[in-house]
Amino acid sequence: MKTNRPAWVSMLICEITRTPLRTALGIMMLLLITAQSHAQTQGPLDKPVTVTINNEPLKQALDKITAASGIKFTYNETVAKSTVKISINAKNQPLGDVLRKALAPHPFSFTVLDNEVLIKYDAGKVKKQAAADGKYTVSGTIKSKQTGETIIGASIRVTDANAGTSSNEYGFYSLTLPAGDHELSISAMGQKNITMPVSLSGNLKLDISLEDNSQLLQEVTIKAAPAGARDLASPQMGVEHLSIQETKNIPVLLGERDVIKTIQLLPGIKSAGEGSGGFFVRGGATDQNLILLDEAPVYNASHLLGFFSTFNSDAIKNMNIYKGDMPAQYGGRLSSVLDVKMNDGNNQKFGVSGGIGLIAARINAEGPIQKGKSSFLISARRTYADAFLALSKDSIAKKSQLYFYDLNVKANYVLGDKDRLFVSGYFGKDVLKAADIAGINWGNTTATLRWNHIFNSQLFSNTSLIYSNYDYKLNIKQDVNEFNIYSQIRDFNFKEDMQWYAGDKNTISFGVNSIYHTIKPGEISATGNSGIISQSLQNRYALENAAYVTNTWKATDRFTLTYGLRLSAFTILGSGDYYDIDADGNIIGSKHYTSGQEVKTYVNLEPRVAAAFQLNDVSSLKASYARNAQNLHLISNSNSGSPTDKWVASTNLIKPEIADQFSVGYYKDFSEHNYEFTVESYYKRLQNQIDYRNGANVFTNQPIETQLLYGKGRAYGAEFLLKKKTGRLSGWISYTLSKSERMIDGINNNQWYNARQDRTHDIAIVAMYKASDKWTFSANFVYYTGDAVTFPSGKYQVDGVTYYYYTNRNADRMPAYHRLDLGATKQLKKTAKFQSDLTFSLYNAYGNPNAYRIFFRDNKTDASRTEAVRTTLFTFVPSVTYNFKF
Amino acid sequence: MKNTIKYITIILFATALSSCEKAIDLKLKDTTPQYVVEGVLTDEAGGCKVLLSQTKNFTDNNDFNGIAGATITIADDNNNVYPLTATSTGVYQNSTLKGAVGHTYSLNVSVNGKTFTSSCIMHPAVPLDSIYLVKDELVNNKDGTPRKYVTVQYHDPASTKNYYRFVQYVNGRKEESIMLEDDEFTDGQEVNNNLRFNNSNDNPARDIRPGNQVTIEMMSIDQAVYKYFYSLSNSANGDGNNAAPANPLTNIKGGSLGYFSVHTVVRKTLTAP
Repeated sequence: MKTNRPAWVSMLICEITRTPLRTALGIMMLLLITAQSHAQTQGPLDKPVTVTINNEPLKQALDKITAASGIKFTYNETVAKSTVKISINAKNQPLGDVLRKALAPHPFSFTVLDNEVLIKYDAGKVKKQAAADGKYTVSGTIKSKQTGETIIGASIRVTDANAGTSSNEYGFYSLTLPAGDHELSISAMGQKNITMPVSLSGNLKLDISLEDNSQLLQEVTIKAAPAGARDLASPQMGVEHLSIQETKNIPVLLGERDVIKTIQLLPGIKSAGEGSGGFFVRGGATDQNLILLDEAPVYNASHLLGFFSTFNSDAIKNMNIYKGDMPAQYGGRLSSVLDVKMNDGNNQKFGVSGGIGLIAARINAEGPIQKGKSSFLISARRTYADAFLALSKDSIAKKSQLYFYDLNVKANYVLGDKDRLFVSGYFGKDVLKAADIAGINWGNTTATLRWNHIFNSQLFSNTSLIYSNYDYKLNIKQDVNEFNIYSQIRDFNFKEDMQWYAGDKNTISFGVNSIYHTIKPGEISATGNSGIISQSLQNRYALENAAYVTNTWKATDRFTLTYGLRLSAFTILGSGDYYDIDADGNIIGSKHYTSGQEVKTYVNLEPRVAAAFQLNDVSSLKASYARNAQNLHLISNSNSGSPTDKWVASTNLIKPEIADQFSVGYYKDFSEHNYEFTVESYYKRLQNQIDYRNGANVFTNQPIETQLLYGKGRAYGAEFLLKKKTGRLSGWISYTLSKSERMIDGINNNQWYNARQDRTHDIAIVAMYKASDKWTFSANFVYYTGDAVTFPSGKYQVDGVTYYYYTNRNADRMPAYHRLDLGATKQLKKTAKFQSDLTFSLYNAYGNPNAYRIFFRDNKTDASRTEAVRTTLFTFVPSVTYNFKF
Repeated sequence: MKNTIKYITIILFATALSSCEKAIDLKLKDTTPQYVVEGVLTDEAGGCKVLLSQTKNFTDNNDFNGIAGATITIADDNNNVYPLTATSTGVYQNSTLKGAVGHTYSLNVSVNGKTFTSSCIMHPAVPLDSIYLVKDELVNNKDGTPRKYVTVQYHDPASTKNYYRFVQYVNGRKEESIMLEDDEFTDGQEVNNNLRFNNSNDNPARDIRPGNQVTIEMMSIDQAVYKYFYSLSNSANGDGNNAAPANPLTNIKGGSLGYFSVHTVVRKTLTAP
């Protein structure tokens, strides 16, 4: 249906003609007998038809009538694709009578158009039928027609009623509607919209395939639908969705598309700085983000000291980041959940894609195992940055190695109508080596086995078995000595999630999760004459259990409420020694626990409430409250996160971190959904925050608690986002005004101080311009207030050497950070079989020397003076990448 | 040796993040001057020395900001009080006072109505068995010649906590780097410890070159003093590696910066081949 007007016009015509027709029909026989000369006024509806049709689809039935009567029908796609089935048993009856009877229970009407009969969708009839008895459920899976990939977050709306839903993370949807005929409108980001009539006289299973929008994007006039628009009716706040296509044109460092770098351009999500893979969400620390890859927690989401994320864009389908108001099925971190889903693999045809850039190469292969039913995907990357190190003049750099590789694999198998299995895995490793003398390698491994089961049209279940591992190994050879240090965190994880689409007003999710953590804090082995005794710190064991239930209640057409509760229980298990420690960090007692013995259990009730009030069709107000508890803590004292930062579980002394977040937001779409404006404001209260003591010893075999201090935090801010979603020029402007503070007992005289990630202003502007079929240009600009840091307030001599005097913690600022990146993509060859493009990018295009760190030293030439020295990592980094797909 | 591990790890990441450096004009806060007490008592005559100074603003020169007119005494645990006398501005000495192993000494500094106190015990000396040079395989000197470090060899006494500080002199020039060790991972072992230092300002006089006289002083220090120097070198040296720079943990009471260390000293000298 291209526009509404013709349908409306035809309805009007039909209404006007109906009454005279009825009268006419009544006297037709009489006319036939008495006035033969009037026969020439006979219309197509008067033509007698003899035809038998037994429960056949509408289009097929109409074809048969044409064959039998010679009368042609005109109709649009809605009619052609209708699932409505009709039955006719007519012997020499006028066509008008036959059609009227056959279409009576369906939302179609007919009218004469010259010598043909126009069949039209008639929403007016639906309304009359809505009163019919009973409600039924239409459910199924939404997929891409081209690849067979399930589509997450597709919107399914009923055009004739204020009802709708969206597909879950496995593409499943369920919608309960009154019996009768409806029209569904299905839209999803990057897909063509379709409308589809359904006729409900019982529960209906309806799998829907959507066509890629890519052809559309290539057209000169880009007209994307409001698909992917923020769901104004859903109470979910603080969420940002990104499909991988959206990240395609955004320029990034060294040309590697990167979801983690892209989300940092959104409000409330801030880069932890160059040379760091972490990000800060709403004033939280980097370890307060739960990063999931196909439901498996990823403990270190960066490669090469943060220049790349562990997520290979080729293998990624979609990601959601929740900045607050986390749905109850997520837990265990305070600030955010970054939920990344891998592609399932194309189940329609085999394909290979890849890319070759200045420092990395990628290859991706996917295809059906059984066409249309099961598929696989393998995606691999390897950097060769170290090839350039060989060219370096520096003797260490020359002999150094610096690279990473990673591998994503996935397979899925449809067991039957109701069951589907997924196996997915990730393996990545970073290697940093200096001339065989010192080296460190680190990496994540995850594996997920999932089973989707559809109990019935309203009850969906997913069962997951998950394995996650992060470890690093440090190797140093010095003289006759060799040292190895190994550390690991490993999880075995069981998850059961159920979604119950309980009627047309309630959607209930519930489930359980159980994770067994093993943390190996450090194992040192030494050979040689250093005297270091090989030893290992005690392993830590914990069982993290959670159960949750949450309901989304559509109270009225305008008001929707989500309320839920998550109950988490973190049990610390032996074996191991646990300590009592005095205020100065000295051990004053200890207790040994045997294997499997319970040391302590922390139970937390985490309520989550969110409400949405839709003001009108294009704007809504939302408010939410959520509590989260966190029992795994990353202890770091280096300026930029390091792969050797320590993951520590809660102990008898380290209490679970707790955050309460309140937020309110206003959302508005305007210019026919071409623009979107959102503003969200939050206040977050944090308990049991952890920091190192002053002068803490990071490398010790003492219990970590001897080096820690505890306190509280608070963070608040406002986030603004203006997005242009369609047209040749698209992009967004995001601005965040925020504050994040800590008060730790024993630091800064127990006064509030700025958290390092406190940034007053944070602006990002992203623009993409499709100049022609061949060229797409893009640019992004970021500006943010420098990190809160501690600079010296004076200096003094100890043993003849200059040292610095400090006053208040984090009371100073790094210089403001700003940068412009430019990108361009040139489509090279594009055929049905092969396509390729070239991507150019220029990172930090005007070469602003942003401070990576600032340090202080005696002037090299005039030792009687001290100076502040700024180090800068990247100015003008160009790159070119060649991508292909066949 | 664990400092070696830390040091090499830092070099490793620093290499990976090689970057460009530029001195910048940074507006730093000034504060009211703070007192700095640097009190030392050794088991050798002439080893009793207290330096009293005040902090300066960042933009001031680096000259020692000595404070005159203080009354400084050291008392032993038999209530004998020994006065120190000023030998130059801010330098106070007692040329005859020597510490004895196992005894605790108390420092008292009075200046302009303020009093700073501290006490520290003298631990027995641990013999320095030998010192020798090893070539560094990772870094060269700035001029491309091989970089050499001293390795100290000693036997750590078992079942006592031991803390060591090493000071290196090359042709009489004192190396600025703080070189510390404890026995957390080496208790009771024969230890060969590599004394790495970072020639951060590329001063050729700091490098060990053929023909140089290299002397190592090995001090057995108290835990509080170890903590002071550990935190001084990790969080107050301005190197920008620490996310939370802070003043070091002092063992002086009364609100001054600095430390009071009572320690034994042993030394060895070699000539670089």
